[in-house]
Amino acid sequence: MNVEVNGPRIMFRIPILDGIPVTETVVNMWIIMAAIVLACIWLTHGLKVKPTSKKQIVVETLVGMAVGFVESTMGKKFRHWTPYITALFSLSIISSLSSLVGMRPPTADLSVTLAWALLTFVLIQGMKFKTNGFLGYFKSFTEPVVFITPINIVGEIATPISMSFRHFGNIGAGMVITSLVYGALGALSSLVLGAIPNSFIASIPIFQLGLPAFLSIYFDLLTSFLQAYIFCMLTMVYVSNASEE
Amino acid sequence: MKEFMDFVTIDVWTMIFTWGNLLILFLLVKKFLFKPVNQMLEQRAKQIEEDSQGAAKARTEAEAMREEYERQLSEARETAGEIIQSANHKATLRSEEILNEAQTKAGEMLKKADAQIAKERQKAMNEMKDDISDLALTAARQILGREINSADHERLIEEFIENAGEASWQNQ
Amino acid sequence: MERALILAASAIGAGLAMIAGIGPGIGQGYAAGKAAEAVGRQPEAKGTVTSTMLFGCAVAESTGIYGLVIALILLFANPLIKLL
Repeated sequence: MNVEVNGPRIMFRIPILDGIPVTETVVNMWIIMAAIVLACIWLTHGLKVKPTSKKQIVVETLVGMAVGFVESTMGKKFRHWTPYITALFSLSIISSLSSLVGMRPPTADLSVTLAWALLTFVLIQGMKFKTNGFLGYFKSFTEPVVFITPINIVGEIATPISMSFRHFGNIGAGMVITSLVYGALGALSSLVLGAIPNSFIASIPIFQLGLPAFLSIYFDLLTSFLQAYIFCMLTMVYVSNASEE
Repeated sequence: MKEFMDFVTIDVWTMIFTWGNLLILFLLVKKFLFKPVNQMLEQRAKQIEEDSQGAAKARTEAEAMREEYERQLSEARETAGEIIQSANHKATLRSEEILNEAQTKAGEMLKKADAQIAKERQKAMNEMKDDISDLALTAARQILGREINSADHERLIEEFIENAGEASWQNQ
Repeated sequence: MERALILAASAIGAGLAMIAGIGPGIGQGYAAGKAAEAVGRQPEAKGTVTSTMLFGCAVAESTGIYGLVIALILLFANPLIKLL
């Protein structure tokens, strides 16, 4: 049994600029976005001032939780950040959880998490710039003493790298381990069923049926939630710290 | 032929797609999730405000009405008390009047009766006096057998009557 | 020959990279122990303690994850082989 761990498959190429590769990651992300947007439309359809359906209570609770999450971490003045954090959180968690239905999780692609982390980096630097002004921004790197400047710069650059690698590493490792387990179980079942002289029955990977579900509880459910939570939390903490004088 | 990326790659196009996707999702979530919910919440807040204002207004009105009713009730009570009091007073006055009238009438009647009685007695005594004087005269004439002159006659009767004593007559 | 050498060295390097797992292991164990103590002292704060511990553990895990990423690169996306 051959277990291959590949990067995202290139689904097709857009034929401009000698072929822009559109990978599985991007396609899966589109599917997930469509699902999220459809869920939003379905949830907010027929909202009433006096709630009559369970659906409305669910959507109100979700929105209240999102607003409470952002307000408790960043403070009341960052209330308008809630949609961005919600979009990031939902995209991250649903992407990671998509491995449960057999898709390749988009967050198991370093490009995706790095893109998000770089966006966070840009937001942090922009917020610092806005708060401290042009001179104050550059001066903040020389604090507390001048010769520490390189360390400060490295510290700033380390933020997106550490964030992206953490998210990618957790989800990617989960994916690798899950595929290794699937491979091993497939090998085991072909070994056991190989005794049966029917090639069709022998090709059924019977042990892949149920067992990996227990691994998924840790590697998919817990890790997905935790990584999405941490990514959003760190983004909010860094940005709100940057907005302080 | 399936083309694969490496397991760990930094693909600029994927990153660009990711940024675009996140931006689009941000806008869509804002439009389809937060806008309707916030609108609904604002509407609800407005309605609750209106409701509470209406309730406060209704309560003030009810309060005013209650005060009005209470005032009217106390006024009515007062009036009733006054009416009863005046009726009592009137009744007392009237009864006293009646009593007084009755007393006066009774007194008058008593007086009249007394006067009548006195008159009757006087009359009876006078008649008796006449009778007695006549009797005495007759008796005397018969005893003396002679006619005393009229003056003596009268004097004798008077004397007789005086001596006989009124008291003894009256007391019998 | 060179290729085999590089592959062997990469496999050893991947194994060595996973030594990084020791650090997070110790750290997370310590954090979990402290969390257990905290829950024992204040059972009513169990929810807060647990979520704080999970957050801290996931952040502390990142050094181990870096080692894991290096190992995965060496095993599945070996950049050294391309240098040949």
